[in-house]
Amino acid sequence: MNNNKLKFVIGSLVIIAAVIVLAIQGMQEDTTMSYSKSVSEVQLLGSRAYAMTLKVNGDLKKGSIIRNNLDLDFVITEGNSELSIHYIGKDPIPDTFNNEMDAEVIVSGKLQKDGIFHAERIQAKCASKYEADYSSPEI
Amino acid sequence: MADLGNILLFFLFPVSVFTALTALAAGITKRRGLLEAARRGAYAAFAVTTLAVLALEYLLVTSDFSIEYVASNTNFALPLFYKIVALWAGHNGSLLLWTWIVTIFIAIVAYQHRHKNNDLMPYVLFVMGSTMVFFSILSVFISNPFQTLYQEVGNTLQEFTARDGHGLNPLLQHPAMVIHPPVLFIGYVGSVVPFAFAIAALITGKLGTEWIHTTRRWALTTWGFLAVGIILGGKWAYVELGWGGYWAWDPVENASLLPWLTSTAYLHSVMIQERKGMLKIWNMALVIATYLLAIFGTFLTRSGIVSSVHAFANSGLGPAFAIFLSMGIIFSVTLLLYRRKDLKPDEEMESLVSRESGFLFNNLLFLLATIAVLWGTMFPVISELFTGDQITVGPPWFNNIMIPIGLALLLLTGAGPLLAWRHTSVETLKRSFGWPILGSIIFIMALYAFGIHDGWALGSFAISFFVMWTILVEFVKGANIRRKNSGENFLLAMYMLSRKNTRRYGGYLIHAAMVVMFVGFTGNAFNSETRAEVGEGDSFNLGPYTFNAIQITEAQTENYSSQTLELEMFRNDRLISTISPEKRYYFASEQPSTEVDIYSTLREDIYAVLSGMSNDGTKVIVQVYRNPLVNMVWIGAFIMGIGTLFAMLPNLRENKAGDK
Repeated sequence: MNNNKLKFVIGSLVIIAAVIVLAIQGMQEDTTMSYSKSVSEVQLLGSRAYAMTLKVNGDLKKGSIIRNNLDLDFVITEGNSELSIHYIGKDPIPDTFNNEMDAEVIVSGKLQKDGIFHAERIQAKCASKYEADYSSPEI
Repeated sequence: MADLGNILLFFLFPVSVFTALTALAAGITKRRGLLEAARRGAYAAFAVTTLAVLALEYLLVTSDFSIEYVASNTNFALPLFYKIVALWAGHNGSLLLWTWIVTIFIAIVAYQHRHKNNDLMPYVLFVMGSTMVFFSILSVFISNPFQTLYQEVGNTLQEFTARDGHGLNPLLQHPAMVIHPPVLFIGYVGSVVPFAFAIAALITGKLGTEWIHTTRRWALTTWGFLAVGIILGGKWAYVELGWGGYWAWDPVENASLLPWLTSTAYLHSVMIQERKGMLKIWNMALVIATYLLAIFGTFLTRSGIVSSVHAFANSGLGPAFAIFLSMGIIFSVTLLLYRRKDLKPDEEMESLVSRESGFLFNNLLFLLATIAVLWGTMFPVISELFTGDQITVGPPWFNNIMIPIGLALLLLTGAGPLLAWRHTSVETLKRSFGWPILGSIIFIMALYAFGIHDGWALGSFAISFFVMWTILVEFVKGANIRRKNSGENFLLAMYMLSRKNTRRYGGYLIHAAMVVMFVGFTGNAFNSETRAEVGEGDSFNLGPYTFNAIQITEAQTENYSSQTLELEMFRNDRLISTISPEKRYYFASEQPSTEVDIYSTLREDIYAVLSGMSNDGTKVIVQVYRNPLVNMVWIGAFIMGIGTLFAMLPNLRENKAGDK
């Protein structure tokens, strides 16, 4: 290997190492890493859940949304399991999120010791359009 | 009409198979007749698909709600324009559009090369034809847009016609969303052309720069379309999604960025091959990677393998894509390994400080960026495979890596063109870099004095200033030399200079556009926002601005009902503007939709969102973002488009003898 090639290889290795360091460093911060769980899985986690940033998906419980000034609370369900959510994020909540709709909701945040989930982010998916009823075929 | 569409679409499958197989046979037997037949097959595929698209358009425009696709994506009250563009509003229609673009490109390539490249063309048509076969299978058998509506009556399924359709998703009713998919698709699909020529070169062993020259314009065009498509997607997200930003490192966004990164790397590294005969395998690999990543992007978008806020329906296309992708990877990598001995470099690298090594580091950074984005995007899948937990990495992780890589690349943008080929001496370095570096230092000291203290932002502004300076110097120096020789005035000299080497100066223009966009990206460091619950007469502040809620009004149209908040915006007690964020409720789709209002200047955007109502219904919740420099991103994208077009112009040849 000649001298120039060596210099180039060393330069490249430095860059690669720097990027790897950045990647690993980014993964250490728990705010950037979130574990995807369903409502019932969160309950199985027990006390381990408090340390994790979680992304929980479940169905919005109809009529559970309570707004009070800027506060927002609601409940998501999966089968018989329920999880109370308190929204602490800053972004506007999505359009599909309201008391009338069947929405699948994904909340990101942390479970508190009192069992209430503090969500920083809410994503809502509308129930699949293809399953929705069409108007009846008569007429 | 639906039956006709179905029949037409169904024809596409045998026609595609015929094209691919006769092309392959033509390659093996070297018979012109077979090549001619394959070419006709390509034209036929184009004709058949075009008619199928027209048939679907007819159904959309006439609101034939016996067709599931039409009923799911349009309704009677939808404006005609949106009925037409509903072709790509849903999954099945988008796939037909994809397929159609593939057939358009294969027809164009077949026609362009009807008298030339007879040795490469059979395999080019074979590769493009195979892609066509794949997409025709998806369109015809898995996601057919001509599917009729069924309902269960007792134990049997009966066709029926819906009374009205579900309407177009309100989020898609926006001009940027109308052009974003086709533009992006052209970018995605376009990558098949350089790929097909690269594979043809590998198969035939004609590994010179012939395939590169032939596909240069294609590579550049598709690169430009990808870039513009990505930005349009960002623009749409910004204006329509209402969270105040344009990029969130969402899997679907990342999917479009990946092929753009590799194709940008290719556009640079190919210059080394043309000039020095180096990096031949690498260039092949980049072209192959770009194509495979484009397919992968479509797969990611359509399969639902990684959950995304874009929430496309999980369409069950996953396995088909996985098979096609693996076949593509195995086939290309095998070919590349088989030819690796013929792809040895003609020359070796001479110096670390040279144009070549600038390009090499550029490519290394693009490669690392690609791997990082791919890794982050696929991390939920990877982590589930190894730990059983699905772990998502958030935007901070991407920013942590991509901001340094982006700035390093931007720095190279300025430094690279100043480095000489082979070797650059310390003297030249001092001469070319001295003033720009000094200039940028003074520039950021001034910014610091004005109160900008964010380290990354200062770094980014310093680099932007440096790069812009070096680009301007290139234009000015060149124009001055030309002016002395030709006696033209300065502007004409600059124009003539650029026209004589459009690739180089178009490239500089694109670099300048990147600088402008980076200035826009850097604006993110200074974003601020506030949220308030207001009734008529209330007011709140954000930075130097005061907002007064004037009134809350309700209105109704045929398509939706709406609620609007009128805000007066003051700065230092002076009325600047009125902004009116709105919330709509679309009847047909039963979906609410947020219409943001943006007061936009070069300096900053004031972005207001009506995010909801208080429980008693007397007050509304409004969110206001202050986003500095966002407009630079769109302006940069526009310059980039111009630069790309300019780079594609043929070089102007001057007749020296005719000079007077």
